[in-house]
Amino acid sequence: MRPFVYERPADVSAAVAVASRFADQQDQPTKADVQFIAGATNLADYMKLGVAKPKRLLDLNALREPTLRQIKIGDGIIRFGALVRMGEAADNDDVRRICPLLSESLKLAASGQIRNMASLAGNVLQRTRCEYFRETSWPCNKRDPGSGCAAMEGFNRQHAVLGTSDGCIATYHGDFAQALIALDATVEIEGKRGARRMEFAKLHRLPGDTPDIETNLAPDDVIVAIEVPFAAWSRRSHYLKIRDRESYAFALASAAVALDLDGNMIRHARIALGGVATVPWRAKAAEEALQGKTLDQEVAETAADAAFAEAQPRRYNAFKIPLGKRTLVRALLETRDMKV
Amino acid sequence: MPKVISTGTSTVSKLSRRSFMSGSVLAAATMPIITRSAKAEEPPSDGQDNARALAAVSMRVNRQSYNFALDNRTSLLDALRDHAGLTGTKKGCDHGQCGACTVLVDGRRVLSCLSFAVMNEGRDVTTIEGLAAADGSLHPMQQAFIDNDAFQCGYCTPGQIMSAIGCVNEGHAGSEDDIREYMSGNLCRCAAYPNIVAAIVQARDETRRS
Amino acid sequence: MNQAAPAPKENMGQPVPRIDARLKVTGQAGYSADLAAGNVAYAALATSTIAKGAIQALHLDRARAVPGVLDIVSIGDMDQIEKPKFGNTGASSIGPLHDKTVFHDGQIIALTIAESFEAAEEAAMLIEADYAQENPSASFDSQGTKIEPAAGKSPMYKEDAKVGDFDSAYASAEVKIDQKYSTPTQHHNPIELFSTTAWWQGDQLTVHEPSQNVTGWKIELARQLKIDPANVRIISPYVGGAFGSKGPMTARTAIVAVAARRVGRPVRCVVSRMQAFGTQTYRAETRHRIRIGAGKDGHITAFAHEGWEVTSRPDPYVVGGASATARMYNYGSVLTHVSLVRADRNTPGYMRSPPETPYVYALENAMDEMAVALGMDPIEFRRINEPQKEPIGGKPFSSRSLLKCYEQAARAFGWSRREARVGSMRDGDWLVGMGCATAIYPTAVAPCAARIRLTADGQVRVQCGSHEIGTGVRTVAGQMAAERLGVDLDKVSVEMGDSALPPAPVSGGSISTASVCSAVLKACDAVRQKLFAAAVGEGGPLAGSGNAKLDMAGEKIVADDGKSAALSDLFKTMQIGAIEEYAEFAPRGSSPEALKKLYAGESEFHGGDQDQDSVKYAFGAEFVEVRVNSHTREVRVPRLVGAFAAGRIMNTRTARSQLMGGMIWGIGQALHEATEIDQRHARYVNRDLQDYLVPVNADIKEVEVILVPEIDHEVNPAGVKGLGELGNVGTAAAVASAVYHATGKRIRDLPIRIEDLVT
Repeated sequence: MRPFVYERPADVSAAVAVASRFADQQDQPTKADVQFIAGATNLADYMKLGVAKPKRLLDLNALREPTLRQIKIGDGIIRFGALVRMGEAADNDDVRRICPLLSESLKLAASGQIRNMASLAGNVLQRTRCEYFRETSWPCNKRDPGSGCAAMEGFNRQHAVLGTSDGCIATYHGDFAQALIALDATVEIEGKRGARRMEFAKLHRLPGDTPDIETNLAPDDVIVAIEVPFAAWSRRSHYLKIRDRESYAFALASAAVALDLDGNMIRHARIALGGVATVPWRAKAAEEALQGKTLDQEVAETAADAAFAEAQPRRYNAFKIPLGKRTLVRALLETRDMKV
Repeated sequence: MPKVISTGTSTVSKLSRRSFMSGSVLAAATMPIITRSAKAEEPPSDGQDNARALAAVSMRVNRQSYNFALDNRTSLLDALRDHAGLTGTKKGCDHGQCGACTVLVDGRRVLSCLSFAVMNEGRDVTTIEGLAAADGSLHPMQQAFIDNDAFQCGYCTPGQIMSAIGCVNEGHAGSEDDIREYMSGNLCRCAAYPNIVAAIVQARDETRRS
Repeated sequence: MNQAAPAPKENMGQPVPRIDARLKVTGQAGYSADLAAGNVAYAALATSTIAKGAIQALHLDRARAVPGVLDIVSIGDMDQIEKPKFGNTGASSIGPLHDKTVFHDGQIIALTIAESFEAAEEAAMLIEADYAQENPSASFDSQGTKIEPAAGKSPMYKEDAKVGDFDSAYASAEVKIDQKYSTPTQHHNPIELFSTTAWWQGDQLTVHEPSQNVTGWKIELARQLKIDPANVRIISPYVGGAFGSKGPMTARTAIVAVAARRVGRPVRCVVSRMQAFGTQTYRAETRHRIRIGAGKDGHITAFAHEGWEVTSRPDPYVVGGASATARMYNYGSVLTHVSLVRADRNTPGYMRSPPETPYVYALENAMDEMAVALGMDPIEFRRINEPQKEPIGGKPFSSRSLLKCYEQAARAFGWSRREARVGSMRDGDWLVGMGCATAIYPTAVAPCAARIRLTADGQVRVQCGSHEIGTGVRTVAGQMAAERLGVDLDKVSVEMGDSALPPAPVSGGSISTASVCSAVLKACDAVRQKLFAAAVGEGGPLAGSGNAKLDMAGEKIVADDGKSAALSDLFKTMQIGAIEEYAEFAPRGSSPEALKKLYAGESEFHGGDQDQDSVKYAFGAEFVEVRVNSHTREVRVPRLVGAFAAGRIMNTRTARSQLMGGMIWGIGQALHEATEIDQRHARYVNRDLQDYLVPVNADIKEVEVILVPEIDHEVNPAGVKGLGELGNVGTAAAVASAVYHATGKRIRDLPIRIEDLVT
């Protein structure tokens, strides 16, 4: 690991100021000389592997603003402070009651220890676990732009079938982000340019020709909160995660579903898919396919077909298309059948 | 008015001496306020020398104060093992994938391999060496692991025990299925899993009774 | 008494807790990298990023410039020492720093030594190599592999077993199958990382390293370093999981020893999880073709098992499990053939239940297919083909309780509730399947030495250079001594894991309990004879009881005429404070050189199919229930039942735990574990515990272990059959059979994954 300077800013404005001073604005946050750290579960791992090489770490855990550590619920909004730990959010009874999808997506992620460490903002910004990205001896367009993609023709069982490009097929492995994108969440950001809000759906960028550019954040942007709208319908929401083992594994396919039902008729479905795409993936085509329909197996299958219509399989991950569809169908039916 | 439902660090304060944790960790119920915070107008120099300078790091480990001089890169795990001589905490992967390095920081179970030691300034750390009472009597979880043969080679055991204590304290040991799920961050390659679950049930029930 | 401590049945010892349990739950058990070495310098490996070619240049300047770096050992720096040897003690003949040739991905190219772990790691990551790269062969289907017969390449696999005329029997069989099976590369991944700590005091070299063979390593390390073995000491008091991975010594040990000599202080190298995949051994991937022919009545008339196994270019590691499958049932005719496929890979090695795990998986999956083809219950099919004598040499089994195991396990499992028709059992959205398979493991034993000291206060010290790898051997050796010398177990201390102790064989092949207990028994009996002679001798406290039968109990010598003498009194009479006996145990049929070999670090195995009088195996029957989600097709195994017979059970607690752990290993074999290889580059892709999946707690629900009483005096004086590896054999086939039962899909290539079932 490269040595780094360690600092512990006292408040958000200090963090932004130090970051702006040491980061080249042209740098991606993941490549900048100065990087933020909170839970450390993703960044420390990648620093050990030589994938992340910050020269200066700004530890956000001492930021004095109490709202960073609070979950506030009111006016149809759940506001998660950025430093709330995944475990705390998962255990919050009100969140679970209001929107089970949020709690389930958190509870099914990682392990008890990691959930105790990882901050919510850090979690949504976690980087791909692509094996070829993790190990610096492989070519990787995301890690070293222009070097090529070893996964494309390599062992790509884990890799994405949606949102891929010729340069990158690395999966976005997070779970919570699937809930957030399905629920039209918003992130609150403070940066050199002042405070601003961004739709969660705009936070992550498709790999395209620049898989190294992962988000629309500047290197001195600090996410301070994530806001999720809720209403009566959000009680009928659910996260289904399918993986090789029962726990502590990334999704092979997952589905975040929230259904606004009028009797058996779908007023509005909100759907996101995990484990199958390069970024948190809102399945709008599936949602549209369900609009106004009565949800049964056949309708669910039509929606699942729509969700994967554009999927691009590779040699070892072609199964993710049928698996992703089946996962969505099962999630839809289970959500329909929830007692709320 | 938005209602405050929970705050970031409220879980620790519910513990009592008899509920698994040693009393000392109760002290640190809020994020410590650090005096070494950076001021934007006074940035430290950015030379390599500065990055390589050893940092003074203080923390409490098993009710004792430690003052370390550490490389910023040193993990909490390596600080405990190589600098405090507390080798009970184990390195099994060094990447947060096995749970062998689990310790309690301010009462919560975390992976010490993924935490830089400097990030733990002022924290209260409990390791496997800090569980038994001064008279040598074992923590109920330790005794339960013996009674239920909840290990074979014993290497993952300190992490399992610390994680098990955290699991019970978090309220995630209500059912055997809960225990299995919330203990899945601790790999046991000897595969003593059913015995680990039985041990946690035993210790949980004993603690409830007392 | 709880589930972990089953009540002993006939010929079973008490479920006493492990004697090192307190140390293990308090963090006081010292594993190799925990042991203090004083002023230790830290070392880190740099490894190759290609699988085949040659190193043209190594760039070390940036690494040397890292503050705190003390030295770098790299290619050319080992020229003064001997290259490693491949065999039972050495993992591979590749001397990575002797040679610019790259034989495999992840081969050591340098070792950095620094004042801190952080500096050593930083430096190692800055080392770059220029390679002359060649196209590597990754595995079976790659261009450029070399295929050759395995027979004779290993002392453990001398010939392909064969009997009768398979071809004509198969041709005329009424019912037959001809199928192919495969198992993947797997790495042991013990949770303890591999490590070496070495230091010199003058000519004396001390090494702390997790080892299953301290005596063998002492001899081999001394040979490589060209020094007197008497000057080498390997210390390994606790081993954090081994499973075969710490049996053979790897090239790193000598490299770290050389580094320690160069920097003049202790050097510790803890190998990263990632680097372990290329610097340690692993289970070779295997392929199998099995043909079984039978009459409509279910009697097998023809059995052929052909196996192919990947090994490295330089070393002919043989798995060779056809020797066990050939002896499993009453086949009529048998044909086996094993081939090695040489590829550009590191050398494989022993991994829990070699060679049975992959070979018996293939056989038992095929047996289930055959039962289906015959329309017969799979247990009944095995019962019909239960042999009276092993089919190859016609020798009797020293004992064989397989059918008892099937009966007891089937009853506990509720096999009678199984509906035979495929896909007929369901629980809500879950398809339910049930399957069973046979477990078999050869019962072997090897020469072993032990020293026993008994003092007047009834304290016993057992010393034996065996290894506590989690099996509980320290506990059962203590139990044996306590029982023979009539003292409580808490008065017994057991020292192991040190090459300065009396030598023991490699802790592999499930031989430790049998070998160690036989040696301890012999030493204890020598102590007893001395005490008995003194007790009944002239002036002794039991003078006059010379014709009585004597025993030791309650710290007394007890005569069956009712008299007894306290140990303390007897020692007073004898005017001594302690008795110490050193025993060398050699199994029946040992070669004249057997004991000499023991001291030379070689383990002469007896038993299995090697003995003249009989074949010796332990058996078991395993039953599993699987659930496959009807939508998403993930497979879960909520219930396992295994019944095992393994001669004398020394301690029902440690025995149950080992068998249970083995069965859960079988779940990993069936559903999770595979080291993935990038076929283009012959490089491992998933070199960590994030992507190399092993079962977690949530994967395992009910596991029931039934210990079936069995008495076998023939196997060894202790009457013990090893069981550390038995539980892991058969499980994967039982899972495959249950998945078939649930879904109608016969998966023949392990691991069984969701992609096999979802499309």
